[in-house]
Amino acid sequence: MSALTLHTVERDSFFTRLDFRSKLALMAAITVVAFVWESAMLGGLLALALALTCLAAGVKFGYLRTVITLLLPFAAFMILMQGFLGADLVRARLDREILTPLFTFPASWALIGGGMMTCEGVLYALNVVFKTLTMILVLPLGIFTTDVNAMVIGMVKMRVPYNIAFIFSSTLRFFPLLFEEIQTIIEAQRLRGLAFETMGPLKRLRVYAKIAVPLILGALVKSQMLDIVLQSKAFTGSPERTYLHETRLGAADYGVIAGAGLFFIAATTAYIGWGVGRFGKW
Amino acid sequence: MATNHGNPQLFASDLVALDNVSYIYPRMEKPALFDITLSIGKGEFLGLIGPTGAGKTTFCLSLSGIVPQFYGGRFFGHIAVAGLDTLDYPVSRLARHVGAVFEDPETQITATSVENEIAFALENLSVPREEILARIPRALEAARLEGTAKKHPRELSGGQKQRLAIAAALAVQPDLLVLDEPTSQLDPMGAQEVFATVRELNRTLGITVVMAGHAAEELAEYADRLALLVDGALVAVGTPDDLYAQVAYLERCHVRPPQVAQTFAHLQHAGVLVPAIPVCLLEGIAALKTTAHSYPVQAPPIPPATTAKRDTPLLSARNLTHVYGDGTVALRDISLDVHAGEYLLIVGQNGAGKSTLAKHFLRLLLPTSGVVCVDNIDTRDLTTSALARRIGYVAQNPDNQIFNATVEAEVAFALKNLAYDGAEIRRRVEESLTALGLWEQREAHPLALPKGDRARVVIAAILAMRPDAVIFDEPTTGQDYRGARAILDISKQLHAAGKTVIVITHHLYLMPDYAERVVVMGQGALLLDAPIREAYHAIDVLASTCIAPPQAVLLARALAEEHQADFPLLTPEEVAACFTVNGLNDETDYSRLLGPVSDRARKGLSQGGAACGELRRTVGDRPQQRPPDYKTKDYVTL
Repeated sequence: MSALTLHTVERDSFFTRLDFRSKLALMAAITVVAFVWESAMLGGLLALALALTCLAAGVKFGYLRTVITLLLPFAAFMILMQGFLGADLVRARLDREILTPLFTFPASWALIGGGMMTCEGVLYALNVVFKTLTMILVLPLGIFTTDVNAMVIGMVKMRVPYNIAFIFSSTLRFFPLLFEEIQTIIEAQRLRGLAFETMGPLKRLRVYAKIAVPLILGALVKSQMLDIVLQSKAFTGSPERTYLHETRLGAADYGVIAGAGLFFIAATTAYIGWGVGRFGKW
Repeated sequence: MATNHGNPQLFASDLVALDNVSYIYPRMEKPALFDITLSIGKGEFLGLIGPTGAGKTTFCLSLSGIVPQFYGGRFFGHIAVAGLDTLDYPVSRLARHVGAVFEDPETQITATSVENEIAFALENLSVPREEILARIPRALEAARLEGTAKKHPRELSGGQKQRLAIAAALAVQPDLLVLDEPTSQLDPMGAQEVFATVRELNRTLGITVVMAGHAAEELAEYADRLALLVDGALVAVGTPDDLYAQVAYLERCHVRPPQVAQTFAHLQHAGVLVPAIPVCLLEGIAALKTTAHSYPVQAPPIPPATTAKRDTPLLSARNLTHVYGDGTVALRDISLDVHAGEYLLIVGQNGAGKSTLAKHFLRLLLPTSGVVCVDNIDTRDLTTSALARRIGYVAQNPDNQIFNATVEAEVAFALKNLAYDGAEIRRRVEESLTALGLWEQREAHPLALPKGDRARVVIAAILAMRPDAVIFDEPTTGQDYRGARAILDISKQLHAAGKTVIVITHHLYLMPDYAERVVVMGQGALLLDAPIREAYHAIDVLASTCIAPPQAVLLARALAEEHQADFPLLTPEEVAACFTVNGLNDETDYSRLLGPVSDRARKGLSQGGAACGELRRTVGDRPQQRPPDYKTKDYVTL
């Protein structure tokens, strides 16, 4: 759980020095392209490149491992669903009737006898999995490498109302507190004999569900305290305020924005013109 | 540590004026503040004292307008700060004049760097960037935080975080700095840092300070004046010399006076001639030495220390080292045995490793190297839930251990986990709640109870499991003297019933009546493991981990120095008992020997005495009988 807390990376890198606006442009380009592409190979390459970039930007390997681990059940579900049951959808996308079988269950088996897993179904499932992974990994690359205050200033520069930008940054700051709170409550329950370590996933889920009430109560108390603190610091949410830090787009930022734009244009053009990234083409 | 008590009459004019102020929170009947009239002079350092629930926090919040503007409720009277009525101006406008520092260093810091934290209020007030840049180093210098501007607040110690909160408030250049129990979660050195910084700001920059708290020894040293609140009413105002000298009165109001004052009050009761009760340490030492020349002095008989036990330890750590994921070495080669039936006190600075050590006994943490055993079984071979049957853990903040909708369900939670049958669960719940005096509240939501009661709910839940040992982790933090003693009295009962008790605390003055053995920790290492009398007098060892012994110990050291003898004393009573008195009668001599009290304080005290006696009967009705000229404003919750 703790690996999922939102935090800035410790390493100073090219990404930490970029303006939040240029990162947003990059995030938008990658997200749209990942969404458009249906090719498992290209989607996988994009996800891999993004994971490596995250590591280079200082995102901890443990975080990536946790994300991938959490995604594994979803991936398995998608592969089974699309591999066995998605034949109609895949046929429609490919506009052909014959699919490549990977294996078939013996007809004598109850319920699943005769079921066939298709190569195209698996590829389609992998495309969805990589698409999801890319959209998840783009967040730490943009968010973890940016100080919360820099995010607020960047958003304000983009004419996002200050109170909206502040709510966004407060939400990011609140997540770690929420995770800490969950850990504290579970720890307290273990100290009252709750054998959390020997529980199956379903029982654990039930425990998490029961935590909701104390969690919400705790969050309310914390948010009320935060509200008092903010008021005592003259916070009103008014846009009529000054900023300690200034933010200016530098050469690197213009380069990234241009690169993101070019990537988006090139990917879209290739997709429309030559079918690059279409399902079954690449 | 010279006395710096200013004369209130020297303050040229009033910065704050409260005029017949009463306040009732929404959905409450009893006022949190009741008919308070008080002026605070420019440049004054006012200490706000009183038991938990007296209204200190409400008083502080009312100065910045947060009460009633944020909370709603009913407000009567007027508060003017720097000429601004706190009802007529929004909190954001008042924030230009009133800087606020709260109790918890964690929740009041909102930014991700020190400089951003300081800049936040200035940005909100539209101070130009160049001016912000100029003010940040000045605020850091004033709070003695130079060189930390780019750091993340989590890299700072507890004392530094509170000083950062002060620096952030200071950057606004307020006329008034309001601090609500700013040192309650700090070790003595951190608390000293905060007090010294605040006093410096008060003296050099002339900032008016209002500080609420239970830190009697520090307030006696630093405050110009004290205001005593009881049940929302201002019952006494006076200099620390005047007010803290009224030991019996304060104790009736459940307020702890400094140990120096307690010592001399005991001496007076014993018939020793004391011209004036000192309230500060250096004055006390000087007065004690003078008194010691006039009376025979002899150390009272000291009960022998409990001999070390040799049986198999209940809890044991062998060469325990723990390194956290970020590389912090929290424990270094700790070896420690705790035997069944012992009462152990663990002390040390913030971050010394006290809680980390306790968590190893509960298997909430595993050793990086070394071995931790419970009843000779390696904790690696046990589970936390299994250990919970043997060892109870009361955390610093009881709210973190409450997760059920009723007191009864809270206590039954563990018993259900441990698969007891229904009848046994009911029997144990009743037994446990009755023992803690909570049976009548069994249907209540635990979080609706006062903090002291919430702590007792957690203790009841733990006792229902009938553990062999109970660990209390900073149980007295945020509690007043009465609340702290109530929790420690429970620990004493447990100890008397044969349980092993471990208490972690910074409040050494509370522990002589309870602990037998003390472990002193510093920077992850075990510095000393000794009987309490030896440990409390190991002043250099305590100082090395930012802990100061209680004033009674320092007075005993002064006696020892004066008489070239050993005085291993721990409490004001013990120090006072060293003096032999003949021919004086307690009743008559006490009044004759009472120290001088100013008329103003005496008046306040006499009123306060009445209030202490009558307030509970009358306070609920008074605001409804408010005079017609009261300014009244009903607020809705925002």
